[in-house]
Amino acid sequence: MPEREFDDEMREHLRLLTERFVRQGMSPEDAAIAARRQFGNVTKLEEDRHELQTVRWAETLWRDVRFGARQLRRTPLFTITAVLSLALGIGANTAVFTLLDQLVLRLLPVAQPERLVMIWTTGPHFGNNIGPRFASYPMYQDFERKSEAFEAVFCRVEIPASLTADGNTERIRAELVSGNFFQALRVGAAVGRVFSPESDDRIFEGHPSVVLSHRYWMNRFGGDPGVVGKKLLVNSYPMEIVGVSAAGFAGVDPASTPDLRVPMLMAPVMTPHRDDLTRRRSQWVQMFARLKPGFTMERARASLQPLLHQVLEQELEEPALRRLKPADRERFLRRTALVETAATGYSGMRQQYATALTVLMSMAGLILLIACSNVASLLTARGAERQKEMAVRLAIGASRTTLVRQLLVESLLLSLGGTALGLTLAVEETRGLLGMLPGASNLMLRAVPDQRILLFSIGVALLTGLLFGVAPAVQATKPDLVNTLKDVVGSVAGGRGSTRLRKVLVTAQVALSFLLLMGAGLFARTLANLKNARTGFEGADNLVSFQIDPGKTGYSAGRTRNFYSDALREIRGLPGVQSAAYAMWPLLNGQEWDLTIAVEGHTAGQDDMQVYYNLVSPGFWRTMGIRMLEGRDFDDRDRVDGGDDPQPWNVAIVNREFAEHFFPGQNAVGRHVGCCHGIATKTSIRIVGVVENSLFAGPRAGVRRQVFLPYLESSTPAAVTFYTRGTVSTTAMFPALRGVIAKLDQNLPVYDWKTLAGQLDETLSTERLIALLSAVFGLLATVLAAMGLYGVLASLVARRTREIGLRVALGAPRRWVLWVVMREVLLLLGGGLLVGVPAAYGLSRYISSQLFGVNPSDGTTGVAAIVLLTAVALAAGFVPARRASALDPIAALRYE
Amino acid sequence: MLQGTLDLMILKTLEAMGPQHGFGIARRIEQVSEEVLQLNEGTVYTSLLRLLQQGWIASDWGTSENNRKAKFYSITKSGRKQLARETEDWERISGVIGRLLSLEGRS
Repeated sequence: MPEREFDDEMREHLRLLTERFVRQGMSPEDAAIAARRQFGNVTKLEEDRHELQTVRWAETLWRDVRFGARQLRRTPLFTITAVLSLALGIGANTAVFTLLDQLVLRLLPVAQPERLVMIWTTGPHFGNNIGPRFASYPMYQDFERKSEAFEAVFCRVEIPASLTADGNTERIRAELVSGNFFQALRVGAAVGRVFSPESDDRIFEGHPSVVLSHRYWMNRFGGDPGVVGKKLLVNSYPMEIVGVSAAGFAGVDPASTPDLRVPMLMAPVMTPHRDDLTRRRSQWVQMFARLKPGFTMERARASLQPLLHQVLEQELEEPALRRLKPADRERFLRRTALVETAATGYSGMRQQYATALTVLMSMAGLILLIACSNVASLLTARGAERQKEMAVRLAIGASRTTLVRQLLVESLLLSLGGTALGLTLAVEETRGLLGMLPGASNLMLRAVPDQRILLFSIGVALLTGLLFGVAPAVQATKPDLVNTLKDVVGSVAGGRGSTRLRKVLVTAQVALSFLLLMGAGLFARTLANLKNARTGFEGADNLVSFQIDPGKTGYSAGRTRNFYSDALREIRGLPGVQSAAYAMWPLLNGQEWDLTIAVEGHTAGQDDMQVYYNLVSPGFWRTMGIRMLEGRDFDDRDRVDGGDDPQPWNVAIVNREFAEHFFPGQNAVGRHVGCCHGIATKTSIRIVGVVENSLFAGPRAGVRRQVFLPYLESSTPAAVTFYTRGTVSTTAMFPALRGVIAKLDQNLPVYDWKTLAGQLDETLSTERLIALLSAVFGLLATVLAAMGLYGVLASLVARRTREIGLRVALGAPRRWVLWVVMREVLLLLGGGLLVGVPAAYGLSRYISSQLFGVNPSDGTTGVAAIVLLTAVALAAGFVPARRASALDPIAALRYE
Repeated sequence: MLQGTLDLMILKTLEAMGPQHGFGIARRIEQVSEEVLQLNEGTVYTSLLRLLQQGWIASDWGTSENNRKAKFYSITKSGRKQLARETEDWERISGVIGRLLSLEGRS
């Protein structure tokens, strides 16, 4: 009863009492007091009333829960089956959601994250670019100074570095950030200070300061506040720790936490011998911004476009672009600025996994649906068994609401039980998932569910409880008293209605299972196709690789070249080594570098002049097992000690793809290209060889047009990856190789030890994750559907026992009985496929971006899924069919 | 006053007089008890709520003698049964107690 009604009533009562006392001759004041005295303490009354109502509500709930638990205990097999089905479904969902939440959904832990945006530009840049969404530093500066839409524009780039502290050198993850980084994000310091635009963004190479991340500070320095003011060597350059950033702040990439941050103006130290701070033709920083109040993303984007246009027009005046052809100038000026919310940060890993995780989340959702319909089916059967009980309770005056409420409490108990078990499963499952993501140990991802995940799971539990509980509960309490009491008393299997509902549920399960099996098949074939794709390399198992980066520990370009040559000589001298080489960009690891190139005699206006390049040592082709088609390999003739010549290259080798694109039907050897300073560079580099195609970033990216330059001509001390082909087992080679590097320089960190085959596996981790999980999900779905099918047929046979017995007694052959039941199986299966196949067809385009070398509506995979499903369905149906055909007619007629 | 006694009195009042509002019930009890019982009239409402929850009385909106909207309470079927049961109990117990007390008086 509404509280207010009671209050009104009592107030009216008091008024009437007061009136009465006034009529008896009291003054109004005295009357009011007397009335109140006679009425009693209003507050106390309210308390009593409140207690009465709450206690009653809680009591009812508690009674229902106890009643429900008792009912469930009475049928342990049913309870266990239901709870297990749900646990599998909820566990799968929680595990996938844990990753999805941490990688994709979570907002950055900063003030007003929804005001953060990422800015980037699209279109031809005619220069260097190190990956998606990068910008040049001068362009960042233009945006920061001139845009009106933002409180601040800031930029960052993650860069590996070597750190020497207390005599130990280690490789760490550093991040170059603009001076306003912390201010714009509104992140403070745990100890000391963070960077500010005033003190860390003024002097070129003049801010040797370091802000440690909270996590690295705890792990490496044990959370000692005394580290502030301490000196360190970053890439052999003395720097001072000025502070530690706030706890909980990882950065703008939720998947990756830098160990420390260094002001952007220290870029020359962090990227030795590369002066990219002033170069407009080099895109290597990521731009973010905080919107001014009142600016929407759309308005911000619109205000950036004219600014970008203005910057681009200025850039066209620079020497590198001055000789651009009119068509290219057109295209260049049509570049557009894009703005996207960065409330959840930006993560390369997220870009890689987001679609996969969404697909997996949907699959897990389907599993949960199947599990739910299984439990719903079980509950319906149970409801049918309890129809008599329900009818009797209705007849003696229980309200239908009460019965439905009690049945729903039972459902919720089941789903909560399933959730509790599912959460335990989920922790292990998430650990397994994390184990499948390479380098996950460096990430901020956790397997143990936190509050958000718990809330999610409990939400799912309540939802599923209602989802599978409502229909059976309503069905079971349908007040068809007369018929129920008359007809079904003593019967086991229940009426027609409940069987129809269960058939619909089984049909849905078959349809969903088909979807999942089809997906599993497609993903398995994708993985197989990618793994078996022609890499162009031979014997990837025998190729060992490791990386070193002497430039980060103070080596000059010349010293680096010498170091690499010495290392190669030593490695080639090791027993069991057939050949060795190195390359600047590691192969098959998902990275690639494209730049604009000028090609002799090539006047392509609209043509794509981007090529993918790599710097390699002599002997690279022999080591990788790539055939030389024409010309020669690099050798020591190609070595220059030209100092800091910005354009040192004299010779190049191209791959077949390149040669066929630019010189179709002609000999590419002897032709010239121009590199590294845009499309208008003079073509002074001679092509000395053509090699067979091979993969660069990985099988998905496919074969690129590639240009290889001799590392020996490089004027920068870049990190390289060494590849060693051996006759001895790969693991035996690691210590010997480590020994070689240690002999040459004891303090040089060596990292990323792996085989080329292992590298490919890592690159294909997304595909492996999807393939494996979808296979598990597909099988799970099939098992659940088989359970559902079996249940329905078993009760069908039980319901028709009498009829079957009669028919057998009258001479129907056993084959006929078998056929009657199996026909039912085929009908259910056919119905499910009739829904499932077109649905799979319609949905397949959503996963086509995840597929490789297989059509989303691939016939073979579909047929395989149908065959598997049919086999399982027939097996599930055969058990009750056998039982029915083996019925003894006499026993069957006595049945009931 | 004994817990439950008020409930019994209200049930009896409603049975005897038909639908009543809270104030009317309080007046009736006051009248019958002839000021022997000191009643905090507010407790009538707590009691009414308890009886509503048990399903022994029902409530309905109606118009009072002085033309105000008021809530009228009436006894239900199960309320009558309950009243019969409790009346019986009451009589049995009061009989026993009465005898007990009169025994004491003799000795």
